Amino acid sequence: MYKLLYATLFTLSIFLFSSCGNDPVDQPDDYSAVLENITQDVILNTYQDLDTKSELLVFALDALASNPSEQNLENARQAWRDARVPWEQSEGFLFGPVDQQGIDPSIDSWPVNETDLDAVLQSGQTLTKSYIDGLDGTLKGFHTIEYLLFGTSSNKQLNEFDARQFEYLKACSESLAGATTQLYISWIPSGENFAANLIKAGQSGQSIYPSQKSALQEIVTGIIVIADEVANGKINDPLSQQDVTLEESRFSANSKADFADNMRSIQNIYLGIFQNPTGEGISSIIKSKNESLDASVRVSIQNSIDKIEAIEGTFTSAIFNSPQSVINAQNEVRDLQQLLESQVLPIITNL
Amino acid sequence: MFGFTKKIFFLLLLAALFSCHDEGPLTVDDDIASGGETTVYGSYISIFQQPAANLTAAEINHHRAADVAFGNQFVTSPALINAGLGPLFNQNSCESCHLSNGRSPFPNTSDNLEGFLIRLSIPGEGAQGQPLGAPGYGGQLQTKAVYGKAAEALVTWQEEEIDFMYPDGKTVQLVKPIFHLENTYTIMGNDVMISPRMATPIIGLGLLEAIDANDLIALADPGDVDGDGISGHPNMVWDELQQQVSIGRFGWKAGNPTLVQQTAGAYKEDMGITNPLFHVENSVGQTQGDSLVDDPEIDLEILQTTAFYTQSLGVPARRNTEDPNVRRGKELFNTLNCSGCHHPSYQTGNHEFAFLSNQRIFPYTDLLLHDMGEGLADHRPEFQADGREWRTAPLWGIGLTHIVGAHTRFLHDGRARSIEEAIMWHGGEAQKSRDDFSVMSEPDRNALINFLESL
Repeated sequence: MYKLLYATLFTLSIFLFSSCGNDPVDQPDDYSAVLENITQDVILNTYQDLDTKSELLVFALDALASNPSEQNLENARQAWRDARVPWEQSEGFLFGPVDQQGIDPSIDSWPVNETDLDAVLQSGQTLTKSYIDGLDGTLKGFHTIEYLLFGTSSNKQLNEFDARQFEYLKACSESLAGATTQLYISWIPSGENFAANLIKAGQSGQSIYPSQKSALQEIVTGIIVIADEVANGKINDPLSQQDVTLEESRFSANSKADFADNMRSIQNIYLGIFQNPTGEGISSIIKSKNESLDASVRVSIQNSIDKIEAIEGTFTSAIFNSPQSVINAQNEVRDLQQLLESQVLPIITNL
Repeated sequence: MFGFTKKIFFLLLLAALFSCHDEGPLTVDDDIASGGETTVYGSYISIFQQPAANLTAAEINHHRAADVAFGNQFVTSPALINAGLGPLFNQNSCESCHLSNGRSPFPNTSDNLEGFLIRLSIPGEGAQGQPLGAPGYGGQLQTKAVYGKAAEALVTWQEEEIDFMYPDGKTVQLVKPIFHLENTYTIMGNDVMISPRMATPIIGLGLLEAIDANDLIALADPGDVDGDGISGHPNMVWDELQQQVSIGRFGWKAGNPTLVQQTAGAYKEDMGITNPLFHVENSVGQTQGDSLVDDPEIDLEILQTTAFYTQSLGVPARRNTEDPNVRRGKELFNTLNCSGCHHPSYQTGNHEFAFLSNQRIFPYTDLLLHDMGEGLADHRPEFQADGREWRTAPLWGIGLTHIVGAHTRFLHDGRARSIEEAIMWHGGEAQKSRDDFSVMSEPDRNALINFLESL
């Protein structure tokens, strides 16, 4: 009986020794298609869309300033909401130039420095793009434009605008468009080509990523970060403290759209679909390892979007008047974060 | 006989189990898991932003709240949230200097000083041994101001080039930035000393805080009794919370004893946010001070939460440890006595946060002050650090600098453009190691650099 035990132990030892990374067919799988598609179809197209929509916002604010009509005011507000979509859809991949070149603060700083903004408006300062470029993030970008365009309660009337505000809005949108152009150029092959780092991951000398796995870890960590931020920051802070001043896009009542587009950012990366309907995403890797997990993640992403859109009324009113609808959305996003963190990421880490 | 066979089998099994240790953190005494159980694995940009691997669910939640506090942007008072910026400041959030939690790049223009600041003082010292602030300016130059106030000065620089040729004929060019303060908002005395500083990576700081002070003091050799040319000593600094002298651990000259104090100092000096430890504005007594009765502008909970972020990040594991060059470089690191200051390893002591306690860590620093020679001297003392002394910089994570920060700038003022240049700037107590490095063969020099890149 002991003999059998020792024989087993001996065999086990041999097996353990022989399993130590000297596997002759140790060829890592090739994830080029996934990395290429996520980079080119999802990331580059999202940034291009952001740049285009930011340029349209410049035109819309220009039109409003030269002809302050109700129609032009609504057009400008819609142009702001339209530009907000690709930005929120880019928040699932906030790594690289947007962070390393310090571009994010020029686009999405929050809160607005209302005290200094009022002081600048009351001053004789000439308001140009280059002046705005030199200001801190809290005096420019989406939220400063939002503050001036919508007012603090989303009901600013046309007669509450003055020439200085139009001037500021125009210069501020030009500065925003400058930042989105810088971001787009930092990624595209004809620009600084950050895209090559992901596409050529693992090719020595071609990329900052020593392996395709490293690049995939970056991407998956990115979607976890935004799920966490939506569930535990953007939704949780105003909800748990019952404080609307903690709500990011309160002035425009655009929070639900912001949150849903953050979830779409996860969806675009996970499925690998933006314009190309047959592209490969993280999903194709997960599906090959664990088909039911892949199905759960897809469902969880869609449920998160649906529950966010099902929040009753505006987010501002819902945190007081129908908090359960907000909690339902938050729980769904938390479940998604949990799935990504505890099941999807380990698969990528162990590739 | 029977027992012997049994032992052999178990040893064999044990050996088999531990024979693949470079695949992961299987054994406790290998040096891949640089941060002990806090270690995180991977080589990607956001690797410095991962929470420690051994946090409990409650600690993870706290870490996430802390992450938000670390990113919070402050605005001018009065404001409904995040009020109190300035009136004089360097940046409006922690994150704007600590981009991706990494080492800051060298500034590209005078208008973009994220991650860079200048400390100021005049000769003499205060009641607790601290540097004396420059009249009209205080202990730090604030290069931004809220609307209606003036930045204290414009920082400009020019680069001095120094060529060096190795005995094998290969050359390296070193550059030294010489900083100037222009457009000063008021008269600055001729006796003002300036010390330029770059933001350092914030990984592993909690573990450095958890090292037993006695372990650091044991490494000190102020009289160089062992005759190796290295005579480190701890900086003994003022602990604002304990109201006593404590061993300094944080900052380029180890001027801060704890992370709460380091964080409180950054709130006050870098952002103009008064707090329970430093409850007067950095502009107090100056013509640009504010008259608001709103101090402290953040409470103890926010201060401690922000400090917690720096305590609870994971330390990245080493990479490529089986590469023969890396192994060779590791031997050379010891042969050249780099390890005389860059002390490889500790077992941490007890910390108020259990996840930091009793960890085997590999930070490669003794946290002591060393004379680094005239080339690196800032000529500005700080507590017991003189104008030529600097704290040994931790090396963990140094090989990820180009990934995390998209640059390779090192040393207190970011002058070194590569690890090689950083080594060649070492002087004073490190002169011998630097000289020995320079006479090695090129493959050996590269091997040493490969080792550092594996950290």
